[in-house]
Amino acid sequence: MRAVRRLAAVSLEAARLGLHAGQKATDALALVPELVTAEAEPEADAAALTALADWCVRFSPAVAIDAPDGLFLDVTGVDHLWDGEAPMLSDFRRRLAANGLPFRCAIADTPGAAWALAHFAEDGTIAVPGEQAALLAPLPPAALRLATETWAQVERLGLRQVGQLMAIPRGPFARRFGRAALTRLDQALGREAEALTFRRPPNPWFARLAFAEPISAPEDMARVAFDVAARLCARLETEGQGARRFEVCFHRVDGQALPLAIGLSLPGRDPARIAKLFAPKLETVDPGFGIEVVTLAAQDVEPISGRQARLDHAREATVADGLAPLVDRLVNRLGEDRVWRAAPVESHVPELAAGRARPLAPASRTCPQARPWDAAAPRPTRLFRRPEPLEGVMALTPDDPPSQFRWRGQVHRVRRAEGPERIGEEWWKGGIDDVRTDHLRDYYRVEDEAGARFWLFRAGLYGDPAVPPKWWLHGLFG
Amino acid sequence: MVERSPHSVRYAELQAATNFSFLQGASHPWELVVGADALGIAAIGICDRNSLAGVVRAWIAQRDLPDTGEKIRALTGCRLDFADGTPSLLVYPSDREAYGRLTRLLTVGQRRAKKAACELTWADFLDHAEGQLTLVAPPERLDEAFEASLRRISGELRGDVWLAAARRYGPRDLQRLSRLASLAETNGAPMVATNDVLYHGPERRALQDVLTCIRETCTIQEAGLRLQANAERHLKSPTEMARLFARFPGAVERSVEIAERVGFDLGQLRYEYPDEPVPPGKTAIQHLRDLAWAGADWRYPQGVPEKVRKLVTYELDLIEKLDYPNYFLTVHDIVRHARDELKILCQGRGSAANSCVCYCLGVTAVDPTKEDQDLLFSRFISENRGEPPDIDVDFEHERREEVMQYVYGRYGRDRAAIVATVIHYRPRMAIRQVGKALGLTEDITASLANTVWGSYGDGVPDAHIRQTGIDPDAPEIRRATTIAQQLLGFPRHLSQHVGGYVLTKRRLDETVPIGNAAMKDRTFIEWDKDDIEALQLMKVDVLALGMLTALKRSFDMLPPLEDGTVITDIAHIPQEDAAVYDMLCQADSVGVFQVESRAQMSMLPRLKPRKFYDLVVEVAIVRPGPIQGDMVHPYLRRRSGLEPVEFPAPSPKHGHKDELKTVLRKTYGVPLFQEQAMRLAITAAEFSDDEADGLRRSMATFRADGRLWTYREKFIEGMARRGYARDFAERCFKQIEGFGSYGFPESHAISFALLVYASAWVKRHHPDAFCASLLNSQPMGFYQPAQLVRDAKEHGVEVRPPDVQASDWDCTLEPADDPRTPYRALRLGLRQIKGFKEKEALEFMERRAAGLATVEDYVLRSGLSRRGLELLAEADAFRSLGLSRRDALWTVKGMADEVGAEKTAPLVARQAVKEAQVLLPFMSQPKEVAEDYRTTSLSLKAHPVSFFRQDLARMRVVPCAALKDLPDRRRVSVGGLVLVRQRPGTAKGVVFLTLEDETGIANVVCWKDAFEANRRLVMSAAFLVVHGQLQVAEGVIHLVAERFTDLSAKLSEMRDHEDAPGARPPPPHARMSSKLVRSRDFH
Repeated sequence: MRAVRRLAAVSLEAARLGLHAGQKATDALALVPELVTAEAEPEADAAALTALADWCVRFSPAVAIDAPDGLFLDVTGVDHLWDGEAPMLSDFRRRLAANGLPFRCAIADTPGAAWALAHFAEDGTIAVPGEQAALLAPLPPAALRLATETWAQVERLGLRQVGQLMAIPRGPFARRFGRAALTRLDQALGREAEALTFRRPPNPWFARLAFAEPISAPEDMARVAFDVAARLCARLETEGQGARRFEVCFHRVDGQALPLAIGLSLPGRDPARIAKLFAPKLETVDPGFGIEVVTLAAQDVEPISGRQARLDHAREATVADGLAPLVDRLVNRLGEDRVWRAAPVESHVPELAAGRARPLAPASRTCPQARPWDAAAPRPTRLFRRPEPLEGVMALTPDDPPSQFRWRGQVHRVRRAEGPERIGEEWWKGGIDDVRTDHLRDYYRVEDEAGARFWLFRAGLYGDPAVPPKWWLHGLFG
Repeated sequence: MVERSPHSVRYAELQAATNFSFLQGASHPWELVVGADALGIAAIGICDRNSLAGVVRAWIAQRDLPDTGEKIRALTGCRLDFADGTPSLLVYPSDREAYGRLTRLLTVGQRRAKKAACELTWADFLDHAEGQLTLVAPPERLDEAFEASLRRISGELRGDVWLAAARRYGPRDLQRLSRLASLAETNGAPMVATNDVLYHGPERRALQDVLTCIRETCTIQEAGLRLQANAERHLKSPTEMARLFARFPGAVERSVEIAERVGFDLGQLRYEYPDEPVPPGKTAIQHLRDLAWAGADWRYPQGVPEKVRKLVTYELDLIEKLDYPNYFLTVHDIVRHARDELKILCQGRGSAANSCVCYCLGVTAVDPTKEDQDLLFSRFISENRGEPPDIDVDFEHERREEVMQYVYGRYGRDRAAIVATVIHYRPRMAIRQVGKALGLTEDITASLANTVWGSYGDGVPDAHIRQTGIDPDAPEIRRATTIAQQLLGFPRHLSQHVGGYVLTKRRLDETVPIGNAAMKDRTFIEWDKDDIEALQLMKVDVLALGMLTALKRSFDMLPPLEDGTVITDIAHIPQEDAAVYDMLCQADSVGVFQVESRAQMSMLPRLKPRKFYDLVVEVAIVRPGPIQGDMVHPYLRRRSGLEPVEFPAPSPKHGHKDELKTVLRKTYGVPLFQEQAMRLAITAAEFSDDEADGLRRSMATFRADGRLWTYREKFIEGMARRGYARDFAERCFKQIEGFGSYGFPESHAISFALLVYASAWVKRHHPDAFCASLLNSQPMGFYQPAQLVRDAKEHGVEVRPPDVQASDWDCTLEPADDPRTPYRALRLGLRQIKGFKEKEALEFMERRAAGLATVEDYVLRSGLSRRGLELLAEADAFRSLGLSRRDALWTVKGMADEVGAEKTAPLVARQAVKEAQVLLPFMSQPKEVAEDYRTTSLSLKAHPVSFFRQDLARMRVVPCAALKDLPDRRRVSVGGLVLVRQRPGTAKGVVFLTLEDETGIANVVCWKDAFEANRRLVMSAAFLVVHGQLQVAEGVIHLVAERFTDLSAKLSEMRDHEDAPGARPPPPHARMSSKLVRSRDFH
């Protein structure tokens, strides 16, 4: 039994209807039956906040995330770029508003004061340096970022404003509300420093080569592709990483940039192999008057364990150094969706029991729980995409194998047969009123007098003389 | 019933799982039995996984089949799944002793495992294998391990082993069967045909697939090969089985041979009562006779009346004849021990109240000599019915555990255990789990589930689904609702019954498997009370009743009566006190047992009870049965003389015109009680005793298997044929349907009415003790402490707040200040303070008794934890020491030794710190009241609504108390806190609200349309103004709601009430959402 579902956040409209975060979803639905809910995605929210933090770097390099929904920007010494705090804040607000983001913000001497003003004072408040105490005084104690339990206690004593708290001597204050509360007060008033964890911009996997003389010969381009790859791969190797996708970009002297991309089926960092995959595509690059810079970016970077170079040449080739390069060449030549591998899909219906998987992806990636095909349930080596109708089938009712059938105009007399294997319909794909117990297929494995083996089935049961069941051929055994 | 088809072959299905193989089997036991019978199968072997939970139901279904001479047999068996890799076995005990070994085996396995699991090994089975006919159920893959196991099994069992083979239409079926045949041959375990049945008909495949998904917690799209490939695991006819096994001669015939060797039948479990110790030289019946006559002398000190003498003699003779004396001795012993040794109040209920012997033994309290109470012993024990007596005894709810421990101690855990309660799929759970299995989103399934109100109801009507904005005809919705409908009534799991014990003479685990309950050290058997009843085992119900606790506590506070009697038992209460009836006629019944609900309260002024039997009717009439049968109004009209009392009569050629008079005399010709409905069936519809019994049984299990309708036609046609009005017959039957499992037999209503009278008497004469004892027995009853306290105040009781110097854990009575009041003052106990712990309170009371005087004493030497002190301060319990709520909180917080120390630990090395005085803002009155509600759920200072009276007056809202002076049909508005919201299943879509303001309460009826239009408001508002039209009838006042105004925001205003000048309220997004008052919602 899973835990109770609760509302994680509500829109303004929902709040107006009396719904609130933390409410049980069932209660909310009882109140507002037409309520539309979506699953909370805290990770996606965090990612979005991170993205916003990265975007804020245009205002200040020092951005700290205040999860789940806040950001701190240290604007010390950068506001002059906007001619002061007020123009900076209004530019900030304008850009956020242009992106359709709802927000509240404030500027103050300390993170604590800024937080308090942004959450509880008028939106866009700018505290004059040294005078934030006056601005904080009328705010409720919750503005001090106190634990819920603590601020509830504080308010219970009738202390409903930060100003009242500031008036209480430090000793009695700490004894009653804890040192953490005192720290919060001190942090807001600047009596105690607060360390923020600033986010540094992400380090992209990127390498760059510039040439004194522009190059244009195809063999030069192949060489620089290898050189730039060697440079990036060296870094990947020191950090124990590999990448599944590489994008090389040739920057021409006329300012045009020509990108090329390749993908790997397993994460890799072998520059020779990467350069080799680029090689056939280089002819599509028109160097024009020459290329002065080449850059290479790696994407889908993930850790791979470093492998020792082989000492024992007699060892059998592994997938990584045998099949993988071949698959990569095929994929890069034919296109990604043209090279695939059949993988089991759990279904009793034969034509649904196989799916396409990436050639070298481990089984766990394609279909987590799919068990391999059962050897005890023989399936033909060749399964027709569409079963072919059979005619002139002779079989005893109710479910004996056929003794004779005609396929593509030719009559086959059955010498040996096995079956039926009965497979019901996947009833959940149709209307429940159409579910019938005779919607089924009886499969038979038969061998004709010539020794050819067929997989055929009868759709439905004998019973209704008006609608005799139909016979089909679904596959051939090798 | 389907015509049985003739078969030249005979076949017994020896592998059938019912839906008691939870989430595997997809048919009820009775469906399998009835289905197999229709197919002409000779016997059906029920074998659920490591469980015998479904076998009794199959046995009952078989018993109830019409006897055509070639009736199917239901064989009791079990599928044993092992934890050590042994292949599963289908086991059929060949006789009673082997059956006992099987139940012991299952008990061993279940006791070893967690609840609802069973861990067995091959060694366990070997210990219990004697006499078991054993079929080996081969696994999917016939590998070498299986061969080895089979060799070992057949070798070690030496005979009576078969190999079960099924044709499931899998790949290479015949190859598999040939292999099984040769394995059978080489191992001396002959092959026998089964069909490994999971459901009675192939159309259950969809449901079975969904059960698989629920079991595997996956959706149908993900389930893949965990589902069955086809729908073949249904019952098949002997001819079809013969065809399927044509190549394996003997396999089908062998099934019948095995079935014929099963010599055990559940009917053999005839009950043997535990022997009670009797004085030397006496037999059990002699001892019982002595006890009964001694009891008669005790009940009638003035001399035993002739009527009683006759009744007791007659009953004792019958008890002797049917060999039940030990049973009566058992019940007598439990009751005697509880009453005399443990001093626990108890009272028998149910049909035992029909017995004069039970009355004399002190088990029940219904005096058979009272007029109007011509009880029929035959309703309790009947020679014809051949059913064991069933005695249910209520005990004080807080002390029942002691009685249960006594039972265990006396009979031992191997002879006493609690029976099971089968938890069935109800609509909400069914739709939720089916929806999830079919891959519907949580939101859709939640919406679908929410369209079902209450835990019963018959599925999900399309109209309701449409209201939530979902299209019921969309294929995925239709699939979910259709399958959920099939799932309704399926057993989900077994739980322990509240207090039904089964007691046996021989080891109980040789009669039924015993498993672990969720609660530690609790065990319960696999069968429920219906199973026990059907098998005629003995059961004693040790039930808990809150009102008994409350009565006991109030008796402890009562002064002696004028004649000097000290009240220690219900029997001591003066009878037929007119003042008590006066009070009840006024619907002044808050806190009174059974008649305190809204519906009962509106019935009281109409029924105007003037004597005890009226209370019996009052209790029985406000029940689903009489309401659905539309019997309430005719009864009331006849009682008040507005309609002549007539007895429906058959046409003269069919019977005497007064044939119903004897049945319905006491209720003015209107059937109200369960047994009246039964008597109607027998007398008017000419049911045989057996049929009436079947009707009664299906009434009890109506929801579970829906077989009641089969009796419907017989009942109505039977009455119509004999000349009764069809309309009357239909109403009678509707009432029977309404009884369902909530029907009240008369004897039960009498037992309850005794408690109604007793509690009403205490309330009328001692409202102080009444309120205190109810508060001390919470949670119980219909009302919250705030209403109970308010009611006491209205009756002139002074109520005092919880106080650190004066309060005990429990509420107590103190001398009143006002010398004129007849009542003592009620001091609220510390138990009223939310979150305060009883253990802490008791320790604190000890220290206080040793002497605490100053604030400092209380903070430093009371042994209270920091949390406890804070709770007391927040609840304003320091006021008698001169500290306001805030000052107290400031003080106790400041005295704390280490900030951040364990909050619940008592502060030992605490010391006072000298510090500067801090002036805290004065708390406003509304805020005080809000804080009172937050900490104790009630306030003695003022009613929250009183602060808004001016606002309300401006809105032309009248006080609740003013309603009684207004005329019928007047348009009016009232406002108040929402105390109760009720949406009973019997009233289609109507919501009842109870509002409370500082003057009283108002009852609001909200019809479906008004509700649907204001759904959100009606369901969520804490403070509501209702505009509507007054409806006054027979002293009952209702306001029929038309419009609503939500004032709930006012309450949070109260919490944020200004008490520091200049403070700004926090912006809305920073405000905590919380409710001042929480209503009780029943739906």
